[in-house]
Amino acid sequence: MSEFPLPELEWEGTRPFWEAAAREALVIPRCDACAAWVWYPRECCGACQAEGLTWTPVSGRGTLFTWTVVHHAFAEPFAPLVPYATGLVALAEDPAVRLATLLVDCDPASLRVDQPVRALFRRLPYGGREVVAPLFTPA
Amino acid sequence: MNLAATAPLEAARALRAGKAHVLVNVFAVAWATQRGDMLGGPGQFHAQERFKRNLEVPFGWFPQPVYFASIARRHMHEYGTRSEHLGEIAVAFRRHANRHPGAVMHGRELSLEQYLARPMLCDPLRVEDCCLISDGGAAFVMTSPERARDLAKPPVLATGVGEARSRTGTWWAQQPDFTATPQVFSAPRAFAMAGIAPGDVDVLTLYDPFTIAALMQIEDMGFCGKGEGGPFVAEGNLRFDGGSLPTNPHGGMLSHAYVLGIAHVVETVRQLRGEAHAQVPGARVGAYGGYTGHMASTLVLEKG
Repeated sequence: MSEFPLPELEWEGTRPFWEAAAREALVIPRCDACAAWVWYPRECCGACQAEGLTWTPVSGRGTLFTWTVVHHAFAEPFAPLVPYATGLVALAEDPAVRLATLLVDCDPASLRVDQPVRALFRRLPYGGREVVAPLFTPA
Repeated sequence: MNLAATAPLEAARALRAGKAHVLVNVFAVAWATQRGDMLGGPGQFHAQERFKRNLEVPFGWFPQPVYFASIARRHMHEYGTRSEHLGEIAVAFRRHANRHPGAVMHGRELSLEQYLARPMLCDPLRVEDCCLISDGGAAFVMTSPERARDLAKPPVLATGVGEARSRTGTWWAQQPDFTATPQVFSAPRAFAMAGIAPGDVDVLTLYDPFTIAALMQIEDMGFCGKGEGGPFVAEGNLRFDGGSLPTNPHGGMLSHAYVLGIAHVVETVRQLRGEAHAQVPGARVGAYGGYTGHMASTLVLEKG
């Protein structure tokens, strides 16, 4: 697994996501035919099976679906971050679309389920190649 | 996890087709020896799925304890489930393991007070909410009822098997019904095949990688209403001696060993033969619930 836990930036499945993040934009595939959001990325729309999908910008607004504060490094590269808050954000555009993310610039003890959150773009906090990613903070 | 439940169905097909007279289901694992950074063990499966590797791992949403801690928090939010409820499961199974000489946690007791005093691992889960990592193995032998009745041990009949999948597979993060398991489909199928209702089950073994996984399956298999699992376990219902639903009387993966469910089926057979350590009095109908995120399976066993 190359550069674990950094993403594989050249992998076609998620390359548009990470290229947009480098430009501080958040993009999700959307069906050209029926406008449904498709997540995780697939070959065709889950709602209408059409094959035309376009990576489309979203607002970065969402709600905190769930999270956990991790007190143990389950892999060595995570050790410098412990304790850290990681969770899932449900996007405002479609709450069925959930992004895994790190919760930053907040006291984890003050987080509340379904609270509004917004994206901000930060360098992932691991060694190796610099990668900008969408992280989330209370809105 | 799931093959332990579905193996008897495959065996029945092979027996009816005359392809075999006796079959053995064997499982072994050496994850304790391989544990390293969870990259040779149970976490590796998820790190190798490309979308999770690139959309979850970079954000530290990895591995299983993080997934199930996230599920536990949501279950607490949706249904009022509390840490005390998860602790009751850990305490019940540990108490059972204390009676099983082969259980890894045989000599180590755990009270609810001790559980609540333990630090968080990934909140709301503590170490005691997570299963062991073990080196171990087990096996069970299957044959026709006719041959089984001719053998020295009392026969145990496989009377129902069910299996079901989540439509979002192992993409737990995207599972619409985030706090449920495919047992909602699998258990009814197995119970219908066996001609029983949940209330007929005398002893239950549940795939318990985490306390919350056991709690959700108890709800989803129909032993109580959805969201009522917390109060249900808090009433002592899981105890082998006097509970309404004796569960994991060997200690489960939480306190016996993490051999991915095969030891659960072995324990169920022993219970139905009356030769278990924490013996449920008069057990005649047993069930095993297997679960691995995208898939659940259910096996009904009955005293022959």
